[in-house]
Amino acid sequence: MISSAVLTILAAASLTNVFPQVAPKDRFSFGGSNMLAAQIQQGAPADVFASANTKLPEQLYEQGLVEKPVVFTRNELILIVPKKNPADIHSVYDLRKPGVKLVVGAVGVPVGDYTRVVLHNLGLDDVLNSVVSQETDVREVLAKVALGEADAGFVYTTDARTVRGKVATIGIRWSAQPIVEYAVAVVKSSHHLAASRAFVKSLLGRTAQAKLRAAGFLPVR
Amino acid sequence: MIRRAAVWAAALVALAFLALPIVAIFARLSLTRLSTSVVSDALVVSLKTTFAAQALVLAFGTPAAYVLATHRFRGRSLVVTLVELPIVLPPAVAGIGLLAAFGRVGLLHTGLPFTQAAVIVAVAFVSGPLYARQAIAAFEGVDETMVAASRTLGASRAKTFFRVVLPLAGGGLGAGEALAFARGMGEFGATIMFAGSLQGVTQTLPLAVYQEFDVDFHTALALGALLVGVSAGLLITVKWLASSSTSALRFAASSSV
Repeated sequence: MISSAVLTILAAASLTNVFPQVAPKDRFSFGGSNMLAAQIQQGAPADVFASANTKLPEQLYEQGLVEKPVVFTRNELILIVPKKNPADIHSVYDLRKPGVKLVVGAVGVPVGDYTRVVLHNLGLDDVLNSVVSQETDVREVLAKVALGEADAGFVYTTDARTVRGKVATIGIRWSAQPIVEYAVAVVKSSHHLAASRAFVKSLLGRTAQAKLRAAGFLPVR
Repeated sequence: MIRRAAVWAAALVALAFLALPIVAIFARLSLTRLSTSVVSDALVVSLKTTFAAQALVLAFGTPAAYVLATHRFRGRSLVVTLVELPIVLPPAVAGIGLLAAFGRVGLLHTGLPFTQAAVIVAVAFVSGPLYARQAIAAFEGVDETMVAASRTLGASRAKTFFRVVLPLAGGGLGAGEALAFARGMGEFGATIMFAGSLQGVTQTLPLAVYQEFDVDFHTALALGALLVGVSAGLLITVKWLASSSTSALRFAASSSV
């Protein structure tokens, strides 16, 4: 019975490519983790919530909406530019050039918050003045850079891998990286609690972890 | 009698269904949220871009509609269909189309995306056809004998247009512009794809509602209430203007299908 339940999984946009491989039979709604959390607060029917940070599931846990969240994978940030690199950006410090069209996640969107941490760690807070658009999830940032409309954007390394050939990547030094941990939690209003708990457990299992690693995600420390 | 009661009941259900979401927005509204910078910035961006877009729609749409209404040529119905097409296009398709045409890597290689001008272009693209379609109908409804009489009495083409044709078509034009204005204020999909979303620059009221839904539901509600208020106020004003000019009245009646 448990195995026949099709779960509704609300998952961070950065998991768009890998989650359907991990759980091919389940239904997914991908988006900015903060939007998904807002949907759960508004009573959206869902079984599992996988967030690109730990803060949002912890908040829902404190509000009694989800069970105890578990960290299941990690990620890193990277700067991407279109393949043609119209603004001639070769290091994060080139973002200081005048007229650079930078696209970032909005405040509250996990990738947007991480981006601000990175810029702060690099002493580049002023670069936020070059932002031309604040996006509601990481895939919107990715799309605008891959399309060539924006000059640069901060995404997860795993996102950059999905558009190889369209973007060039510029690494961010280890010491400036924020802690990017993904947490997953079972939604308490789920009608498939047992299957949902099994899914969360399976995410930590060898098969799922191998698929996450193959997609470029990092193992839990 | 029973049949009549059923009709009334159905009408009441329809009314309640349409009114309830609006009532709910105001019922849960906390006015203090209206004073945040997100709200005031979005209001300013929305008003600026909507008025600019509607000025363009009127300036270019009126002559275009007049030409299409008064001339018969081969391929006219194809042109009219093209003008009307954006009305039925999903906004996301409009956004992709605008990027493909005016994006930096689009056909025309413009630097429009992410600028306030991009918002104006998106709003004009989705709302203009609503005005143009109504304007074509309004101009077609103008009594040709009145135009001929004006011309035989010695009035120039231009004078005839401004003194005879425009007042006669005014009601229809006003109704069309009211629709275009309301559609423009509510524009979302094409804008977020083509212009992005940045507070104070390209973030209009609908875009701010979308962003604030993730951040603070009550601010989203306040923005929604503002949008309802502004749209309703403008709609009522334009309708009142259209119906208060007596010559326009019968055309407003005949052209509102």
